[in-house]
Amino acid sequence: MAPPNTVSQKKYIKRKAPRGFLRRVLKRHKPHLRLEKSGDLLVHLSCLLFVHRLAEESRTNACESKCGVINKEHVMAAAKVILKKSRG
Amino acid sequence: MPESVAKPVPEAQVAQPSRRKSSQGSLELQLPEPEPPAPLPQGLLAPGKRKQRLRLYVFQQGVDEGLPLSHEPRGNPDASSLASSLNLTFATPLQPQSVHRPGLARRPPTHRSVDVAAFLQDLRDTNLAPPNIVLEDTQPFSQPLAGCSPSMHGSQPLPSHTGAEDTERVASPRTWSSGSRLQNSSPEKPAQFLARKAKEVNALALGFPNTSNSISGDAVEPLQDGVGEEAEKKMEEEEGLSMSEVKETTGSQGPFRAEQPGGHTEVTESEGFQGAVETEEPEESKGDEDISGRTACPELASNTPAFLQTKQRHQFLELAPPPGATVLPSEPMEPQLARHPPRPRTTGPRPRQDPYKTGLSHYTKLFSFCAKMPMEKKSLEIVEKCLDKFFQHLCDDLEVFAAHAGRRTVKPEDLELLMRRQGLVTDQVSLHVLVEQHLPLEYRQLLIPCAFSGNSVFPAQ
Repeated sequence: MAPPNTVSQKKYIKRKAPRGFLRRVLKRHKPHLRLEKSGDLLVHLSCLLFVHRLAEESRTNACESKCGVINKEHVMAAAKVILKKSRG
Repeated sequence: MPESVAKPVPEAQVAQPSRRKSSQGSLELQLPEPEPPAPLPQGLLAPGKRKQRLRLYVFQQGVDEGLPLSHEPRGNPDASSLASSLNLTFATPLQPQSVHRPGLARRPPTHRSVDVAAFLQDLRDTNLAPPNIVLEDTQPFSQPLAGCSPSMHGSQPLPSHTGAEDTERVASPRTWSSGSRLQNSSPEKPAQFLARKAKEVNALALGFPNTSNSISGDAVEPLQDGVGEEAEKKMEEEEGLSMSEVKETTGSQGPFRAEQPGGHTEVTESEGFQGAVETEEPEESKGDEDISGRTACPELASNTPAFLQTKQRHQFLELAPPPGATVLPSEPMEPQLARHPPRPRTTGPRPRQDPYKTGLSHYTKLFSFCAKMPMEKKSLEIVEKCLDKFFQHLCDDLEVFAAHAGRRTVKPEDLELLMRRQGLVTDQVSLHVLVEQHLPLEYRQLLIPCAFSGNSVFPAQ
């Protein structure tokens, strides 16, 4: 399926969900578990939201430290917070 | 309409001339037709009645169904008035010119049925003329280009056949075939076409390779091959997939390619000289019919060069060297293209992490896009680790939820519960809202149940 976005990936991102990848990940971690048909799309949705929050948090961290570039410290700090939040 | 007729009809049935007149007058009032005015003397009415009687018979056939009253007035003298009324009512939709030939005029023009297919079939049927007639006609350019283009389109199946056939039979140089094609293209007389077509069909039935070989072999070979190559190249450039598709559909690429030089030589010329018209037509023809399109291409090509050739034969020689030059670069291109796919081969075993990392890279790219700020490479690695942990947590949670529900399969309800616990889904923000916000249409349709026609919901709940 062709991604609806156009050519350059600098400005546009693929909106396709790596469904095979997600199913494989679940199988690897929990082989006894099965996934339903549209389940992996929701998994993809949760990943999207996680990444959104992570990026937002790391961006905030970088802006607070008045850096023009996102460093790994910013990312680390953001990851701590967000992972805790998305523990469920 | 019949109701309007019904009203004057009972009036006329009183059998009063005044009533007739009035009925006619009423009819006249109702109808915009330029009928004779009411105060006409009855003598004039009589011929009108006769005309209308004549028309009545014709119209009755069509009117019988609609009007029960039509049966009554047949034997009555009032029938004329009724008929006139009927005629009037039914003549209004038709043009007034239909008075003279009502039957023919009433028939709707049906000559708009399939253009190409019928036309081609007709041409095939008619294109059975003997080759003698072809040879006799020595003025192929009687018609201008404009005339040739529709004829070309129509006679597409013909010229290649004739050319192939002629080359087979006479083993003559290209001029003969072109000459035959010339005559084929310009005059499209049924007799000629019938004879030609029959022979062409026979020739074609024998085998395309023979014809193609004959075509390529008989005429100026290098020129044809070169021009054919160039034609192929041009065709591919301009038509691209259509040609290749046609080639593939035909199945045998060998004979097809062999044929192409004969056809393409002309195609190139046509393209070179006329340009878009011919290219469009072969494209259309190819798009329409596989085999016929395939033949149409060379046919069309034969058409155009046919009448061009006689005028500008010397230009063929001029074309020869450039096609020869262009052939060379095109030829090495093709083997290189064939070599390209197998060339970049990575040796060695693929590490197990690769598919996992490539999958994660999808999300890391998403991360760098969402951050809207430049990032370091190391921070991306951290993002990957973070995602890895996130997936682990996700799987654990899903397992717990599924086990809590006594299931071995993870269902969307588990996912929703997970997101609710994460704080993404609240009472204000439902899962569907998030789905609509972040997922593209194809996934939205799969996730959100929507009602379709036939009282069905997809996906089923």
